[in-house]
Amino acid sequence: MDASIRVIGVASTFLWILLVAFFASAAYSVKDLHLDIKKPQLSLTQEGFVVISIPVKIENGGFYNLCDFNLTTMVADLNGSKITEGSTLIPVVRRGDKIDAFHNLTFSLSSFLLDKGVYYLFNDSHFNVTALISMKLAEVIPVQALSNFSVPWGAPLYNFHVGQPNLEPHNITHLKVYVPLSFENHSPVEVNGEIRLYMHSDGETVGYGETTVAAPQGALCTCLVLLYVEASRICEEGFLEVYLSTQLFSYGPLVIPYG
Amino acid sequence: MAENGKSLRDLAKKLILRTLKAFLKSLVFYMAYLFVWSFFAHFESYVPGLGRTVENFVTVYVLLGFFGDLVAETVFQHFFSVAKALFVVGYLTLTLNGGILNLNYMSVSLTVDLRLFLAAAVLLSLLGLARSMLQAINYANKRSEPPFHL
Repeated sequence: MDASIRVIGVASTFLWILLVAFFASAAYSVKDLHLDIKKPQLSLTQEGFVVISIPVKIENGGFYNLCDFNLTTMVADLNGSKITEGSTLIPVVRRGDKIDAFHNLTFSLSSFLLDKGVYYLFNDSHFNVTALISMKLAEVIPVQALSNFSVPWGAPLYNFHVGQPNLEPHNITHLKVYVPLSFENHSPVEVNGEIRLYMHSDGETVGYGETTVAAPQGALCTCLVLLYVEASRICEEGFLEVYLSTQLFSYGPLVIPYG
Repeated sequence: MAENGKSLRDLAKKLILRTLKAFLKSLVFYMAYLFVWSFFAHFESYVPGLGRTVENFVTVYVLLGFFGDLVAETVFQHFFSVAKALFVVGYLTLTLNGGILNLNYMSVSLTVDLRLFLAAAVLLSLLGLARSMLQAINYANKRSEPPFHL
């Protein structure tokens, strides 16, 4: 019996040493695991989708492989409605490996702005981002990190303003109508497109004009839209219909009374 | 009278040797702990209270080992062995929160699943417990056996 007890003792001690050494070295390896999430990059697809690419760099300098690395992010508006969700899975990061990956979030800005509200077109706000990173350290220890943070949203047409129309005679029958427009592009992308303006007076469309706009990120854009209107058809009061069409979204009509 | 004094001297010598042995064993174990811990000391900034938790565990474990060595070759040695095995199971289960550790660091909520480690540690502790019981049975068995004379 003494021998068998001794064998159990030796086996138990050996297994304890293995267990502690494995978990201690796995925990120590975390020190040499570097995860770098860089600044997101925006791009547009031909189908009109906005792709937010977040470069992710993983450097596994530890003693063991890392497996099932999964990065999941969900972007929601202030009401909690989901805007987009993305997931990136890297099955294995071998020890000593450096992996560069892109975590992509795709959404249609046009449908988002029309579905979730025009509010975001004209007003700066915040979006709530939930990020979940999960992985298996040393292929057996599941670890997950959850973080909630908010990212600012810059409105592409912040402080959109249509001024009072200025009338100038063009010829005997027509008038030149100048309508001043201004807005600030607070969005992270350049707003390029055209603005179409319809002038309505006494229930009829009396004039039409359009202009192109190019507003770089953070720029104040001011422009004049020129309309030729028959002098006999114009009244002192009426309304303007504004249609916006850019590479990212189309919106309209925005009805603005004048007079 | 002289025989009585000699046996007392022997007993004192035996006790001193045992104490010295127990002390040296505990010291070596504690030094090994300090050496290993030096690699993990920087984790304390991420996991508050980690150092104290490990320190408490090691202190009680070393003390149980020390007292077990002091009463070596008696039935009480096995009591301490059993206590040590049960302490490991209980302390690990409580401090590891059943194997799921939730930590908060800045705005990040971190969850570490140590159930596999806990399961392995509990199984090994139970093996240690079984061994201690077998030793106790073996000890009692030897004590009850009549001396065999040819």
